[in-house]
Amino acid sequence: MKKNKKNLIGHLSDWLTWKRFIFSVVMLFFITGILFPFYWMVSSSFKTRAEIGGREPVYIPKSLQLGAYRELFDPSHPSYQNFGRNILNTLKVSLPTSIIAVILAILGAYAIARLKFRGKNLLLNGILLVYLFPGVLLVIPLFAMLSQIGDKLGFAVQDNLVVLILTYLSQTLPVALYMLTNYFRTIPDEIEQAALIDGCTRLEVIYRVTLPLSIPAIISVGIYTFMIAWNEFLYAFIFLNDRMMFTMPIKINTIYNDPSPRPNVVMAASTIMTIPIIILFLALEKYLSAGLTAGGVKG
Amino acid sequence: MSKSKGTVWKPHKTNEARLAWSLVTPTALIVFGLVIFPAIFNIWVSFHNVGLHNLNDVFHAPFVRFENYKSVFQDFSFKFQSWDNWGAAVTTVVYAFSATTLSTLLGLIAALLLNRPFRGQGVARAIFLFPYVAPMVSVAFVWRWVLDPKPSGVLNDILLGLNLIDTSQAYLATRGLSLLMVILLDAWRYFPFAMLMILSRLQAVDSMLYEAAKVDGANPIQQFSAITLPELRYVLGATFLLRLMWTFNKFDDIFLYTGGGFGTKVLSVLTYEFSFRLYDFGRGAATSVIQLLILVIFLVAYVSLVMKNVGEE
Repeated sequence: MKKNKKNLIGHLSDWLTWKRFIFSVVMLFFITGILFPFYWMVSSSFKTRAEIGGREPVYIPKSLQLGAYRELFDPSHPSYQNFGRNILNTLKVSLPTSIIAVILAILGAYAIARLKFRGKNLLLNGILLVYLFPGVLLVIPLFAMLSQIGDKLGFAVQDNLVVLILTYLSQTLPVALYMLTNYFRTIPDEIEQAALIDGCTRLEVIYRVTLPLSIPAIISVGIYTFMIAWNEFLYAFIFLNDRMMFTMPIKINTIYNDPSPRPNVVMAASTIMTIPIIILFLALEKYLSAGLTAGGVKG
Repeated sequence: MSKSKGTVWKPHKTNEARLAWSLVTPTALIVFGLVIFPAIFNIWVSFHNVGLHNLNDVFHAPFVRFENYKSVFQDFSFKFQSWDNWGAAVTTVVYAFSATTLSTLLGLIAALLLNRPFRGQGVARAIFLFPYVAPMVSVAFVWRWVLDPKPSGVLNDILLGLNLIDTSQAYLATRGLSLLMVILLDAWRYFPFAMLMILSRLQAVDSMLYEAAKVDGANPIQQFSAITLPELRYVLGATFLLRLMWTFNKFDDIFLYTGGGFGTKVLSVLTYEFSFRLYDFGRGAATSVIQLLILVIFLVAYVSLVMKNVGEE
């Protein structure tokens, strides 16, 4: 027994060089710093109101209480929040945004990467300007402009999910275009030339040659735009007034600012909003990391 | 769309250009219609008196010259008052620079940490990206809950238990401390971006360089300063620039953490307040134009001073 223990310590001291010690400490610092808030979010969502409002924080809830989730989803709960509706609204905005952004970005990026046309640089630079503009700068003129057009054409700007989709497209398309253009440039031109010689038209080349070779980039662009639309706060906050039209971020903000604070309900809603994103991200991490940097790194 | 084989191989230039434009047009329309045009229109609004009353008839709003700009410059929440009350312009600059520096530094440390092989590297790498991919709203409210000002708030409980503080702190509702907290939280959320950029550059560094340095007897610190840092200069410069632009323009983070109170009011939040609390759209537009101008001045200075040197080497 004693000998064994000595061996273990012996092993440990062999393994534990200064370098490894510093590495482990810094790693531990990062991992706890990153994961603790997420643990706190999920665990708080399962706490009772007594545990939430006690004199001392409860680090591990005694049992998994579903009260907070019932308030979000159970119509018989006294302060029922109808959160399902908000999830649906978010999906109604983020799915079309990402699908349309991907399609338009593929077409545009292909033209920029492969075809010669006048005004290309002007277009690219104009599109990159979006990086410069603060979101709040665009909200005012968009609001004024769209309510003017809406008046003429007879649609409402407030509580209109289509308006939201359009503004999200304008925010995500530039980056999507930039990411895909960079990727298309890495595909050897010869493959496409061969297909052109075989008699394919340009559109057929895009569909048969370029797309299959670009699946990773397309997935990362799709996820990127989906996440932007899923998380977006400012535009939704300004353009949505009706509780029934709220997307999740706005709804969570509303619950948080309720006169009677219920952190467990806020944490439950936050958990629901975060988990799909984390799962999506973990499943496709390989593509995403490459995509996230494709817009920025040139060498 | 059908073409004979002969013309497809070397397509006529105008044909190609026409196809290119038809492919680009939808994107160009959306971006120009919903970004470039509104941005120009915003400048127009900043010179006019636009409020809720004439929003439906903006084009006839009265022209007021520089009145909006004047009232912004004279506003007590814009200009520097005293060391206790910085005003939005100074706060924005301090916030953007410190948060960017901190998140780039943390990203560098994280990238160096993840660049050496160890068991569980893939998992660690994925976890390191969590703060960046998680929705801002969730992140904001979790941190507000962790930083709860009551003694039962987790951070208060931990720090009180360790005897590091005597009384519980209102982290996000104390002048000075709030700005520091917002900067730290920003570094926490955005370091993964810098990490990704730096990591992908690190992986492209020729390992022969390190082998040669080892043969020459260079210690890890010397290797870092002689090889790693010079190799990373460009990517560090680019990352800093991108993050600076984005942080400078941030709205959500500060709005959700503090609502712009307790000395954390940045220009984005001030623009929002003028426009959507006071419904003085002209003044809001003027604030955002000032914000853009400050940013552009910084960018021009940065690119001509810092990036130029990097490019020359």
